[in-house]
Amino acid sequence: MKVFQDLLETPLNYLVEQAAADGRIPIGYSCSFVPEAFLMADKLFPVRLHAPGVAGTEIADIYLSNFICTYTRSLLEFAVDDRFDLLKGWVFVPSCVHMQRLYDNLEYLKKPAFSHILDVPRKVTAATLAWQTEELQALADKLASHFGVDMSHDSLNAAIAQWNRFAAVIQAIGELRKPPDPLITGTEFHRLLMAALVSPKDLILPKILDFKKEIEKRDGIGKFRARLMVTGSHLHDPELIRVMESQGGLVAADLFCTGSIPGFMPVEIGMKTNSDPIRALAEHAFKKTLCPRMMEDFDRRLKTIIDTVREYRIDGVVIEIIKFCDLWGVDSMPMVAALRKEGIPVLKLEREYAPGGEGQLRTRIQAFIESMGK
Amino acid sequence: MTPRRQEDYTTVKDAFAAAKHFIMRLPGLATVFLKNSIIGYLFEAKSLKDAVIYTKYWILIWASILKFVVKLIFKRGPVGAFRVIRHYPWLLRFFSTTTLLRRLTRGRKGAYLESTALIIGSIAVTLVEKLEEVVYQPEILLINEDLVPPEIGMAMGLNVWLVEAMGILLPLIHSDASENYIDEAENAGMNPDSCSFVKAAVGMIIKNQQPIGCAIVSSNMPCDAGMASYTYIQKAYDVPIYRVDAPYNFHGERAETLFVEDLKGMIAFLEEHTPGRMDWDKLRKICRGRNRMMELELELWDMMRASPAPLAAEAVWLSHLWHFYMFPGHKEAIRVFERLVELARKNLDANIPAVENEKYRAVLWNPPFPQFPDIFNMVERAHGITLIMDSMSYNHHNPIDTSTPETMLRGLAQIIMHGPMVRHTRGPAENYLDDIFRCYKQFDLDMVWIANHVGCKGGQAMNGILREKCREMKIPLLILDYDLVDPRIVSHEGMLRQVDDFMETVMKARRPAAAPAPQ
Repeated sequence: MKVFQDLLETPLNYLVEQAAADGRIPIGYSCSFVPEAFLMADKLFPVRLHAPGVAGTEIADIYLSNFICTYTRSLLEFAVDDRFDLLKGWVFVPSCVHMQRLYDNLEYLKKPAFSHILDVPRKVTAATLAWQTEELQALADKLASHFGVDMSHDSLNAAIAQWNRFAAVIQAIGELRKPPDPLITGTEFHRLLMAALVSPKDLILPKILDFKKEIEKRDGIGKFRARLMVTGSHLHDPELIRVMESQGGLVAADLFCTGSIPGFMPVEIGMKTNSDPIRALAEHAFKKTLCPRMMEDFDRRLKTIIDTVREYRIDGVVIEIIKFCDLWGVDSMPMVAALRKEGIPVLKLEREYAPGGEGQLRTRIQAFIESMGK
Repeated sequence: MTPRRQEDYTTVKDAFAAAKHFIMRLPGLATVFLKNSIIGYLFEAKSLKDAVIYTKYWILIWASILKFVVKLIFKRGPVGAFRVIRHYPWLLRFFSTTTLLRRLTRGRKGAYLESTALIIGSIAVTLVEKLEEVVYQPEILLINEDLVPPEIGMAMGLNVWLVEAMGILLPLIHSDASENYIDEAENAGMNPDSCSFVKAAVGMIIKNQQPIGCAIVSSNMPCDAGMASYTYIQKAYDVPIYRVDAPYNFHGERAETLFVEDLKGMIAFLEEHTPGRMDWDKLRKICRGRNRMMELELELWDMMRASPAPLAAEAVWLSHLWHFYMFPGHKEAIRVFERLVELARKNLDANIPAVENEKYRAVLWNPPFPQFPDIFNMVERAHGITLIMDSMSYNHHNPIDTSTPETMLRGLAQIIMHGPMVRHTRGPAENYLDDIFRCYKQFDLDMVWIANHVGCKGGQAMNGILREKCREMKIPLLILDYDLVDPRIVSHEGMLRQVDDFMETVMKARRPAAAPAPQ
């Protein structure tokens, strides 16, 4: 497990450095609507942007103000502090107004050599799907022209196949959380997953497979008082989950950007009429990402949470929201009501991007577990 | 007999103290009432002509209110009328509309006085028309988000109701009018840091004080909170909803085509779910009316470039905000703009400035101050700051081509996507910044004011860049912290103090000896 912890210590870990030294091209991204498989073509590899151990955001506060979410501010702080300099390019999505303004401020303060904003629509129709396909095609052309990489269908098909194999391994490990006596804790799983998202997939895969063998030999992970599901904003530091589990709440399922439900479903390619990999990736991005930025996805998100609660025998749902996130902040109002209507206990937690206030968090988790009679 | 408890004595004592306090305050209250009433105005009027103008609009406003009340009692009976008032208690706020007239016209005279009175009078007239639609024809009421083009619903024979409109209008009259709605939304679980404008709309719905309508049309504009709130609104109303999606990269033919298709989808949806049917001739008429309004507004802008400006403040921002967003193409809206042009022309020809001591010409960026509109009146009297333009009015697009349905939809799509709250909240930062500098140059301004609404994250995150750009270009910049509709966040005194400090430290102007106090 320590190997994954080490990979999360810095924004660009030693595997990224190793791959970059081998002539490969790391591309940073911050939103799940950027299909990872797309950035795995040829010499490219994706790196999810995170800001581990961020201590303060003094410079970012000047530009972005104190009213923007701390994830966005942390990224800007790290960027102006040259912590992402190894990246060869950035791909953004106007996921929310915070991300849009991060892009604007980054362009102003420290313009990357390559940056692109992928205009992902906020609803899914035949027209917006076609738009998204065109957007990805435009990005492919730009990447090919800037880096000289092969973004042909063959190259993308190969990348998709590689990503599907990787996703299958992650899903298999995620399944180990399902039984009443799971073989992996939420903290371990999340640590592994985050490490996978910030590292070149091919270099981290052997380590993941080794870990999988190790945990399959386990008898169990001990007793927990309750099984929890966590949903909400970007959650990068496994510390939050560790604190929850320290109070007896096993995090057995997740639904957030860096979680596995339904983020690691395979890209459907070569099936039905779907032989165009770019089109397949456009569809995939819409299917596997459940975010309140999508105007018409509330019911699908709600259903996924309810189904997961049943499938994973969840006792209660924790909605975690980074302070100032309007999307999750406003959306949680009907979401909490809808889940409670289904008889599912819900705890709404507001937090900052960097972990803090452990004592308060412990108290709230304890109280939540007790309120469920566990 | 049960012995009386200590609390009973306390209650009686408190009631007595309250009554005594009220009686002691009576002279003060009477003075304030008189000062803010028509009697107060008549004592202060600068000329008989001004008194006549003021009285005319005062009567118009009261006549509109009384017309609504009498018609309501006549059509619904006293009990029915009481029920309507109980359902929409905020209607009572409109009985104070003349205080808005009094506050905003203070110190103004001649054509400038009339321009302000004209707009407030027009708000009263058109609002009554809108309220009658809500009360008498709920079956064809369409709930329309504020940035979705109302022209489409209107052309389909539906009565369009902007859920957010009261969030702007009520605080104009009473600055605290939205507070309990904001609290209601926060108590229901909405994040307190989201936009108070959105919270006020949601709070009214939670309190069941908004009409329901037969369908909803909303969008991804202008911000995340506004967009996300419609999930709640749709669940609360349980009526069909259509959401239009303006792309982030809205420039160019490709984006326009996508958005036009979306508008067509909205029309098809409305035809399926409401009694409305698209009447393209009616849409053509509305679009022509809107074009006429735009033509008149451009004429007004041309005159506003003169220094000193012939009109200012509400003649610019409130005229646009109310009429273009709520009543595009409406005959009353056209009439208002025609009269504004006449008034501006009159002042310009006679070389009469709107603000007697115009010293500084300002633009206000981001939505104006609905809970403290008096600020423009106060700073013009205290510092000679004249509001020449605001971002909500500062559109620059072509008139709608009314030759075919396709061209009309394309014209509406352009207006929406290039409209202030849309173009400034998406696309690259240049959309926001370049407009400010263009406006600054176009109107020969002396300063830029940013209405720094705490709930507007998109605006907040641009201040750092803007500050540096303004320094480079030597443009005086005032970032005025406030909350759009919640006066508890930054008090009126606090807002005025920010202006005074800016004037003293940046503009090197003398602090006014006795700054006008908020009324």
